Amino acid sequence: MFAFPGILTLHAIGMGFAVGISAALDLRILGVAAKVPLAEMRRFLPILWAGFWLNAASGILLLIGYPTKALTNPVFYLKLTLIAVAMVLLVRISRSTFTTGTHTTPGNELSPRLRKLAIASLVCWAGAITAGRLLAYTYTRLTQLH
Amino acid sequence: MHDFQVWLVTTIGGNSPVASVMRTAWAWPIAESLHFLGLCLLVGAIGTFDLRLLGVAKRVPIAAMHRFIPWGLLGFAINIMTGSLFILTEPDQYIYNPSFHFKLLFMTIGGLNAATFYLTSYRPIFAVDAPPDAPRRAKVIAAISLCAWIGVITGGRLLTFYRPSICEGPQTNLLLTCTP
Repeated sequence: MFAFPGILTLHAIGMGFAVGISAALDLRILGVAAKVPLAEMRRFLPILWAGFWLNAASGILLLIGYPTKALTNPVFYLKLTLIAVAMVLLVRISRSTFTTGTHTTPGNELSPRLRKLAIASLVCWAGAITAGRLLAYTYTRLTQLH
Repeated sequence: MHDFQVWLVTTIGGNSPVASVMRTAWAWPIAESLHFLGLCLLVGAIGTFDLRLLGVAKRVPIAAMHRFIPWGLLGFAINIMTGSLFILTEPDQYIYNPSFHFKLLFMTIGGLNAATFYLTSYRPIFAVDAPPDAPRRAKVIAAISLCAWIGVITGGRLLTFYRPSICEGPQTNLLLTCTP
């Protein structure tokens, strides 16, 4: 499959932007760069979502390339679950930071609930990346014939 | 250059205590996972700062956004450390790998570009009365930075497809690199 290396590369770049921006938002909630108005972090979300959809598309293509390799590996389902949880957390974080306007003033003390969501988000992304990397080491069947 | 590469591979050897630890079942995958986490920190901090310079989230003061940079440097440090572990364990797989050469080239461009930013654009951007729109020169630097780090990721991700191996006869395939 000639395009395989290119798709894999796009998958890594998309990860950098999706996870990177989500992590930056989490870090901001946890007190990093406290002078950045939290509500303005929403301007980076379209790029985060572009990274996410790039990875959903490239991920599907990688899955079409080697369906048996992924689908027979429990770690693959763990990766998908962690990504799903991370995205739900992102939506919940976005809702409570970008719509209500209660947490927008710089220096405002953020709710403990929001901090917990941010920590959970970071943990889920770290888990999803680790699971993704382990896919290369934990598969039992590369193709149906093997 | 070729002699230098051979010398480097021979000197590193790949038989150090570090290499023996890296050859245990879990060490390499764990180091790789950390390498990917470092990548995300780097893109999340430095990439978003570049995007801010390019005009995203203009209401965020650039100086405030710059507070994310230490986290990008942390990601970079993690990746230098884990990357060194890979090279110390399998030196020939990197030193002879054209994809690795491109990765190093883009890392150098990224580094020099960042140095240029601090040397030329620090004062106008971090002044108290700095305008929200970054000067044109800083925008060019930000665009080069984004391209350089995407280049680094690409070089890293393609490493595995340009692995050198021992082969006989003249080299005919660009994708194939022969180990001396």
